Amino acid sequence: MKKNMKLGVALVTAATLISGGAVATSASATTYKYYIAYQGPLTGDNKQTGLDEIAGVKYALALYNKANPKAQVGLKQVDDQGSGPGASVVAPGTAKDKSILAIVGPAFSGASVASFPYYKAAGLPLISPSATRVTLTDPSSTDFGGPVFHRLPSKDDKQGPALAKYAIQGVKSPVVYTVNDQSSYGTGLDGYVQSALKALGHAAVGTDSVDGTNTTLDFSATISKIKDSKTNVVIYSGYYAQAAGFVKQLRNAGFTGIFASGDGTYDPGFIDGAGDAAEGARLTASSAVFQDAGKAIAADFKKVTGNAPGTYATEDFDAANIILSCIKKGNTTRAKIQKCINTGTFTGLMGNTIKFDKNGDTAGAGFINAFLVTGGTIISKGQI
Amino acid sequence: MHTLISQFWQLTFSGAVQGFIYILISLGYTMVYGVLRMINFANSEIFMVGTFATIVVSRDILGHQPNSGDLHGFTLIYSMLFCLIASMLASGVTAVIVELVAYRRLRSRGTNRLAPLISAIGMSIVLSESVSLLTAGRATIAPEMLHKSSLFTILGANIRVDQLLVFIVAPIMFFGLQRFVNHTRLGKGIRAVSMNEETAKLMGVNLNRVISITFLIGGLMTGAAAFFFETVYEATKFNIGFNIGIAAFTAAVLGGIGNIRGAFVGGLTLGLLETYASAVLGSQWKAITVFIVLVLVLLVRPNGLFGEAIQQSRV
Amino acid sequence: MRTTNSLRNFNVRDKGAAIWSGWNRLQRTSFGIAMILLAGALPFAGNYSFSNFLNTPISNFADVLIYPVGMFVLMSLGLNIVVGKSGMLDLGYVAFFAIGAYTMAICGKWTHLNTWEILPLGIAFAMIAGVLLGIPTLRLRGDYLAIVTMGFGEIVRITALNTQKIGGPNGMANVPNPPSIHTPLGVLDFNIMTPNSFYWFVLVLILLTIWMIRRLSVRRPGRAWEAIRQDEDAAELMGVPTLKYKIWSFTLGAGVGGAAGVVYASKTLYISPDAFTFNISVLILSCVVFGGIGNIWGVVLGGVFLAYLPERIRFISNARQLVFGLTLVIIMNFRPDGILPRKKREKLSSPAIETGAK
Repeated sequence: MKKNMKLGVALVTAATLISGGAVATSASATTYKYYIAYQGPLTGDNKQTGLDEIAGVKYALALYNKANPKAQVGLKQVDDQGSGPGASVVAPGTAKDKSILAIVGPAFSGASVASFPYYKAAGLPLISPSATRVTLTDPSSTDFGGPVFHRLPSKDDKQGPALAKYAIQGVKSPVVYTVNDQSSYGTGLDGYVQSALKALGHAAVGTDSVDGTNTTLDFSATISKIKDSKTNVVIYSGYYAQAAGFVKQLRNAGFTGIFASGDGTYDPGFIDGAGDAAEGARLTASSAVFQDAGKAIAADFKKVTGNAPGTYATEDFDAANIILSCIKKGNTTRAKIQKCINTGTFTGLMGNTIKFDKNGDTAGAGFINAFLVTGGTIISKGQI
Repeated sequence: MHTLISQFWQLTFSGAVQGFIYILISLGYTMVYGVLRMINFANSEIFMVGTFATIVVSRDILGHQPNSGDLHGFTLIYSMLFCLIASMLASGVTAVIVELVAYRRLRSRGTNRLAPLISAIGMSIVLSESVSLLTAGRATIAPEMLHKSSLFTILGANIRVDQLLVFIVAPIMFFGLQRFVNHTRLGKGIRAVSMNEETAKLMGVNLNRVISITFLIGGLMTGAAAFFFETVYEATKFNIGFNIGIAAFTAAVLGGIGNIRGAFVGGLTLGLLETYASAVLGSQWKAITVFIVLVLVLLVRPNGLFGEAIQQSRV
Repeated sequence: MRTTNSLRNFNVRDKGAAIWSGWNRLQRTSFGIAMILLAGALPFAGNYSFSNFLNTPISNFADVLIYPVGMFVLMSLGLNIVVGKSGMLDLGYVAFFAIGAYTMAICGKWTHLNTWEILPLGIAFAMIAGVLLGIPTLRLRGDYLAIVTMGFGEIVRITALNTQKIGGPNGMANVPNPPSIHTPLGVLDFNIMTPNSFYWFVLVLILLTIWMIRRLSVRRPGRAWEAIRQDEDAAELMGVPTLKYKIWSFTLGAGVGGAAGVVYASKTLYISPDAFTFNISVLILSCVVFGGIGNIWGVVLGGVFLAYLPERIRFISNARQLVFGLTLVIIMNFRPDGILPRKKREKLSSPAIETGAK
């Protein structure tokens, strides 16, 4: 009998957990008439990207709701774990939820491709802060996300050549080795870097794919190969956490040449992780870090969201603001917002003008800025 | 191929360092397997806890800041000792808790073999997700302790002091453990349980205590590995244990799971194999090479290179 | 077994079996049909107020019923043939799912075959992979088999990841939906707006798999698997060709996984290597053990519960994986043989699956 009671207790606990949670959702959240959604990895291996990004959206929303207390807009968190399969689970439901007017996201390219069919069918406009795969805005590709898809970062095929050019700039006889992290971002960018290098007449002497999708931190074999090939320029395509570990070990192994990397590494976290080894690293990105907008706004960001502005915070803030400014103009259906995004001209955090072309790229997305890590900070070197 | 020849000793040295870290972690698997005949699936998270303990002690208790330069003299010695002990203790205690929560109740009822496996998987999700919530899924950076410059060069291989430390201390710990298991009263208790549990119980061995201690020792060794890992790589994340856990488990099976000597050979072999395979075929094919070699070894020697401590047929 | 085990001995399965055996054929048939109809009506549950507590936040209930729920149930049933029926620990089951899915994507995009024609192909390729893996490795026992199968799962995933021809890490988009079957109300149309028809398709596959397992269980293969699970050496001694039957069980399990893969790819339209990680293998194994190893209804229940739970608790966003882990620990501790364990008689007389640890 006693044991049966125990089972009962367990079952009741489980039931309360589920129903209690349901109560919590209905009680805690004030319901809004309209929502914007953020779609990205909020759990799983890539969740730090998602948490950084959603903070930017939350900040923009907090400012908006403070300025428009009568017509507040809510936020729905759509967790796709940063992967295609995760996105296929959430996309149908998100597309069906008519209170969601537009989405900031999807954060990752694979997740974007997996979600497109549902959002296209539902006419739900998207502005991605960080999906850079070229084919997403290429109408001849099966990955094409138009007309609903828009993005703020520049494409890999713009960044690849810029990165290649910047990496070998001023090097007398460059011998280049490229490394990618096996992610869809890393291999994609690496491909464009390699073809650009070939076009510049300095084809990479070798290339290696390290395991970046998981958590390997040992790069000794790759570094041995780099040293063996008498390389003086290493271009790494991947995300900052892994890049920090990589450049550290590369410098420890006595490599004195140039280390260059793309916008995945363009993050203060790269310098925190790599320390002195980050010194002299050449980075490319299409935007400025959020902190460049001024100390006051960065401090306010931290106060409101509890997070210092992280990777892609600028793009997230801009993406959310574009949607919110459309809502403010009285566009409260998906179709109207879609039209507003397509035709409007917007101002970004850095005072830049944002206008989308017919495939969903921004007009200015061709411009890539060069950065140099100097004295522990990322210094802009202007357009490349 | 060219790299393998011209950088042979460099690769061998880094592979061996990697291998020594695997050895210590695979002891966490092999010790537990020896007495319980069960895969301790949560060992990868026990490792993860150790890496965080190292960082917390050095950063928050000793007050060293990441990227503020390496330590010297007395500060270096006590910091390292302190971190090593903290890491070992944190992992050891976690391992004991894992045993209490995930294994003990099930073991005392003599259930099927898979129930503890699943509850251990559950524990491992709980551990890594808790840390993930605490750190917001971010990578955590460790303060630098040892300077990473090359100490000297032998046969063209740069020997760094942090790697040298692993190279020297890890085997000492391993042989210390082996002595402990072979020569102390407690160690004999562990061996007795692993040979025949029922008989050991009849002979007056306190089963629960022996099993707890086995988990503790496995955890201590895994914690030591976590400390060395942090000295060399200086970063961690909530999911850091996943890959390295699988590698260490593979090492344990390669050598013959349940066999302490096997863990040594398995770990070293795996470390070298991974490094050579990365150099010749590219890093992306490393895991595949390892598994193919594992299958080939198991086809010739179905119980691993050194065989199990005891032969016993089971599911 | 002492009295303290009365909780474990509290057995819904036995009670259910007792009621079942008291019924005549008509009662059984009508009960079966009623259950199938009820299962078939599940996608509509979200629309009515008495059942809309089932609805999942963010994700769409009818789609959740296909993936993860339906797929997990199907794969758990397949894995149950290997783990539950013949007692082999397989940690790489996701490989067969991946092979099925990639067969669908490759054939669907590059040939004129449609889903119905690719389905047998996907099953066949998965089964061939099962045989190829099974012949050398099924001689291994217990945990050695576990790690070899785990390795196989990783090999398939990493090969897909590094083969640019099939998309590499980018995966494959625009996998075709199955051609619609024309019916007056369009209830068997297959496109992204019709999750119900996919769900019914998966339900049919699940029912077929259950039927197959039940048929085989009472025939020679079922008895051979039972013998192998209980004591392989004794079975071999008694003249059971153990390797042959082990390969059979492995291959059948693989075939079910392959079928699941084909359906998955043609439902989601997009596949990439990160759908086929080691975690999925572990999850499927958890479903089997959690529900009740060896008992079809337990496995179905385990698959439904573990696939549905993380979706239902999406509102706690960050912590939902933590709750999932806790659930595994708690339920396994209180019901070590799963929610619906197999018959007690079988379990007690199977020393092979006991730990030996008392």
